[in-house]
This record gives sequence, C-alpha cells and structure tokens, in this order.
Amino acid sequence: MNKLILFRMLQEEIRLNTSFASGKGFFSFPILVLISGLLAVLFSDAMIEDMGYKDYLQILHISAIFYGLFAGSLAFFGNEFLERIFGYFGLIIGLSATQPITQRKITLLYFLKEIIFYTLFTMIPALIGAIIGSYYTDINPVHLLIFSFTLYISFCTGISFAYYISSFYRISTSYTVMAASTFLIFYSALFYGNEITGSLDWYLEGTMNLLLLGLAVPIVLSLIATINIKEHNMSGSINLIGYKNRFEEYNQKYSWAKRMSIPGIIAKERIDLERSKTGTKMFFSFLFPLGFLTFMNWFLDKGLPIQIDFNTIFYGVMIGFFGTMLYSWLNSIDTPHFYSTLPIQVSDIIRARLFLFGTITWWIPLIFMTLISYMSNELNLLPIGLIVMVTVGVYIVNYTAMSTGLKTNSALFDAFVFIKFFLISVPPMIAMTILSLAINHKPSTILVALSIICGILSLLSLIFYKRIDLKWNNESFD
Amino acid sequence: MSVINCNNLSKRYDEIEALKKVVLEVNEGEFFGLLGPNGAGKTTLLKILTCQLKSTEGNAEVFGLDTSNEFTSIKPRISIVPEQESPPSFLTPREVLELVVSIRDIGKKNIDYWLEFFELDSMEGRVCRNLSRGQKQKVMLASAFISETKLMFLDEPFINLDPLVQSKVREWLMEYVKTGGTVFINTHLLENAERLCDRAAIIHKGKIQSLFTLKDLKKQDLTLEELFHEIVK
Repeated sequence: MNKLILFRMLQEEIRLNTSFASGKGFFSFPILVLISGLLAVLFSDAMIEDMGYKDYLQILHISAIFYGLFAGSLAFFGNEFLERIFGYFGLIIGLSATQPITQRKITLLYFLKEIIFYTLFTMIPALIGAIIGSYYTDINPVHLLIFSFTLYISFCTGISFAYYISSFYRISTSYTVMAASTFLIFYSALFYGNEITGSLDWYLEGTMNLLLLGLAVPIVLSLIATINIKEHNMSGSINLIGYKNRFEEYNQKYSWAKRMSIPGIIAKERIDLERSKTGTKMFFSFLFPLGFLTFMNWFLDKGLPIQIDFNTIFYGVMIGFFGTMLYSWLNSIDTPHFYSTLPIQVSDIIRARLFLFGTITWWIPLIFMTLISYMSNELNLLPIGLIVMVTVGVYIVNYTAMSTGLKTNSALFDAFVFIKFFLISVPPMIAMTILSLAINHKPSTILVALSIICGILSLLSLIFYKRIDLKWNNESFD
Repeated sequence: MSVINCNNLSKRYDEIEALKKVVLEVNEGEFFGLLGPNGAGKTTLLKILTCQLKSTEGNAEVFGLDTSNEFTSIKPRISIVPEQESPPSFLTPREVLELVVSIRDIGKKNIDYWLEFFELDSMEGRVCRNLSRGQKQKVMLASAFISETKLMFLDEPFINLDPLVQSKVREWLMEYVKTGGTVFINTHLLENAERLCDRAAIIHKGKIQSLFTLKDLKKQDLTLEELFHEIVK
C-alpha cells in the first residue's frame, strides 16, 4: 500500500506542476538543470582558480543545503499558498482526514515523495550534465560522482531540516524557533573546527566518522519530525470579530487613480494586503536574498585576489530586481475567483496590483536601501542607488506582470516563461552590476552609461505596461 | 424575446468533448434549469455563457451579443453565482457588497437589506475567510442579488444552504422572475428544479438529451426524477 501511495503522490506532484505550467514547459525544466550542471563543470576550473578549491566546494555544499531547504519549504509550507491561490486544493496528504491512515505515515510518505521528485527532476539531470561536462575538462568522472554523492547528502540535510521545522510549526511558532535554534547549536557544536558538512570533510580529508555523522543528520532530523507528527494539532483561535469597515474609505481615497485601475479594486487589494499581514512577510522575504548577497560579498572578498565591494548602486540593482517578489506576494494573498462574477477584466486586477506595488510597498526596498547605504558609509551614492532601484524595479515588475499575469509563481515553473524572464532580466542586471562596480574608476562615464540604460529600461517598462491590456483582456480568472 | 442563444456550441478539452453541438434558447422572464449528472457539461456551458470560457465551435449569444468577444457589454448586464463559494477572503460581507455596488456603479441603498435577508448583519467585522461554507455561499448570493441585473446565472446555488435559507432564496427568485428577470440555473437537485423552473433541459455527456416544460411533464404524469433516471441511466 505504501508503495502505491508513494507512486500516486509522485503522479499527483507531476500533474500539479503540469497544471501550473504547460506539460512541455515543465518537462523542459530538467533539460535546463542538465545544462546548468554542464556549465557548472565547464566553468569550474575558472571558479576554482578565482576562489580556491576548498572554498568553491564549500559554496557548492552551502548551495545544496539551501536548495534542499527551499524545496522542503515549498513542500511543507506550500499548502496554505496553494489554498489561497486556488481555493480548496485536495492533495493525497490530506487523506488521513477521511481514510484509516495516520497523519504521521502519510506525512512521512509525502516527505519521501519530495526527495524522490527532486532527485529525479533536478539532482539526476544536474549530475548527467556534470558528467557530460567532465568529458570536456580534466575532472575525473569518478571523483565527480563521489563529490555529487556528498552534495546529495547536503541536499537531503536541507530538505529534512524543512520537514523537521514543519513538524514543530504544526504545534506553535515558539516551538519552531526553539527547535530551529536547538538544531543549529547542536549542528555547530558537532562540526566545530571541521568543514561545513561531514560529507565534505570526508571528501577532502577522508574522515569516515564525519561522513557517518553527516549521513546521520538528515536521518535523525526526519526521524524526529516523523515522531513529532501527532494526529491532532493545536490550532490558533480564529479572529472572529473586530475588523473595521475600510472599503468605502479606501474607495474614496483612491478615486484619483481611476485612470490606472478601478478604485474599488485598488481598495479591495489594499485591504487584503493589510489584513493578511503580507507586508511583514514581504519585508522578511527581502532579508534572505539580501543576507545571501552580503554573504557572497564577504565570500568574494575572502576568495578573490582583488578587492570587490558591492556598493549601494549594486544593491539598488538587486533590490529593484527583488520587486518581482513583491509583485508575486501581491498575487498570492487571495484567490481571484470572485472577480469572475464582476464586470471587470484580468488586466484591471494586474494594474491595481502594480499601483499598490508603486504606492504602498515602496517602503520595504527604501528601508533596505537606506540601511545598506548608511552601513556602507555611502549615503552620497543613495540618490543614484534609488534611481537605479526604482528603474530596475519598475522594469522587472512590469515585465513580470505582463508575462505572468496573476499567477507569477506558477507561471515561472514553465521553462519557456522562465527562460524569457531570464533573458529579459539578466542582461541589464549584469550591465548595471559591472557599471556599479566600476563607479569609482570613471564616475562621469559610468553615470552617463547608467543613465542611458535607465532610459532604455524606462521605455521598455512603458511598452510592457501597455501590453498588459493586449495580453490579459478577455482572459479568464481561472 | 430570447436572452440566451446557443448555436451548435461545442467545447473540447484536449481529448474530452465537454459539450457537443448544444442548441438552446432561453426567453426573457423564464426560469430555466439545466439539469444533469456530475461532469455532464453544465458548468462548462455556464462558463461559456458568462464569458469565462471560449467555445471550440459554434457560438453563444447573451442579449444578442457574442459571448466570445462582447465581454464588456455582457458582463455588466448579468450576475453570476459560481459553483465554488469564493468571496474575497479578507473582506467582511458588508465590504464585499460595497465592492460589488462600487464596481457595478449602482446605489448602496440595498446593502443593509441583503445583509439582513441572508442574516449576515450579525457577521459585521468578520472577514469571509472565517465564515462557514454556507455563510460564504450567502455572501455569493447576496453579491448576485444586489446587482440588479435582468439575467442571473446560478451554478448549484442551494449547496450548503440550510432549508430555511433555501426556501427564502427560492421565494425571492420566483418573485424576481415574475417581475421580468430571467434565471438560468445549473443544478442536480431535482426537487428545487421541479419547484422553480418553467422549462428545463437535461444534459448528459455534453449533449442536450431533452428539453421540456415542467407543465408538459406534469401533464404526462411524469416526475423530473423519473425522466432524469430514464435519460441518464
């Protein structure tokens, strides 16, 4: 029976993903991963030369842990997201409510399904790409296979950590924080003075004990998580009464914006944003990528022979790019199904959300930009950084809105949409990053070049905005 | 005068033919029921008629306007209660009705009436995500009823409603039709259809199998359930 449930869960996962994106788009994703694996190996010599052998392997392990964590978070914290977007969404994991199977067992099967799914659709294609790449380099395929095995353990550590955390999250937030802190302290104590993962230490130093410890970590984490899952969970109280009527107030307030969207819709979306407390989630979702960037900054400083400092303009580019996240959050607050009963179009909602992006959520990037420039003693660069941030933000968000409509997250699962998004977003970002890093060498030339790029991006933003109606009018809300 | 017209309407989802050459006409002031088992094509037809879905072949007209490209002219003139109760999660019932009248550009005077009608007035300050399924369905019905349109599309509107509210809704709908409104209702609750509809069609496997008036059915001493069983078996 377990095998059958596992198999059906895998089928369900594939069907769920192909319902988000086109079948072709979804099944092309492993090819993209394969190409990434190939490129990673082809450029590994250059990276090792720049960063150093050990540091390069270390960052690959950190990335594998984070990837596992990301995949696990999607799996174990994605249900609420799915329900918000699609309304009721019945998955096999919910079977324990109606069938004689324990929550513990079905959640464990779900966890195993996640590992199998990501192994088949991302880890194996990446490995195949890497093996193909090794044919064109001096890398020994056997060493590559062994290293991939150690990376896989790191991936499992990340995904099982998400499983572990989710089992405490079912109980309460304070338990979650305590469980996460306990694990991090325990893990740091366990590997203190060694490499970041036991398997990497084994790969580099041949310490078998650490390999076994490294292997034990995901097993113990998933074991604790499984034991921790009970049949009945505590549930928080429902906020029954107390919301003040805000619609009319906001409807009046936004009457001036009727040329951009319908004020009533802006008012509704604004209320959604406030009551769902998505603003706080948006704020914290900026912390992770910015923390990663700061880490990269530190890492490159440590690894590269030349000094590179990410300045305020660079952060302007990055934070502008993260505008996509803000737009994506706006799309994940509530299901748009109710709108199908009203005489409005999908493009009206997109424009209302763009309006909110520009007028309500601007404080989040502004806070980060000001903090970063202050902490880097670069307040003089803040005005340019802000202009760059706004331009990149408006450009990328308009493109995201035009290409993905109201389903940003799921649309980006489609490899074709993702490739287009990549091609539209990455080249200008690379150009601006290079220019920002060179600002101290020829400031006037760099400023002229930045202005030209900002001008082009603004023009393109306008084109993307105009095309929203063309693409999304007459589309359904389903 | 007909308000709904379907001419050889077909809809295909990949390999599945959800609708097969549907021919249908609904007249103004009629209470029309589309009956059928689960998966018969009822919701697909309703979605085409309410401009939410495009047909593969044939065409559908509402008020003489093509539903595939006259969205902006049709939508303000119809109200819809979809199959799934999905009022905005973070608005209170009052705010939902305020949103509806604001978008439809109609007066606010009836908001209190409809809140009271559906006993939603006691839900002041409560957002829809915290309501029961029945209460959410009431919000959906109130949103449609407040719209003051001449044509109403209802997809399984009685699901989740308690018997008292069902009876109130039935009475209101009958009064609405008497005063010139038209109702197109999808249901598999035959008892409700029998009480309400002037005319009905039974759809099975995407095809209209039978089109009849309830009066004729009674004359033939046949119940809707008997006919339904005969066709769907």
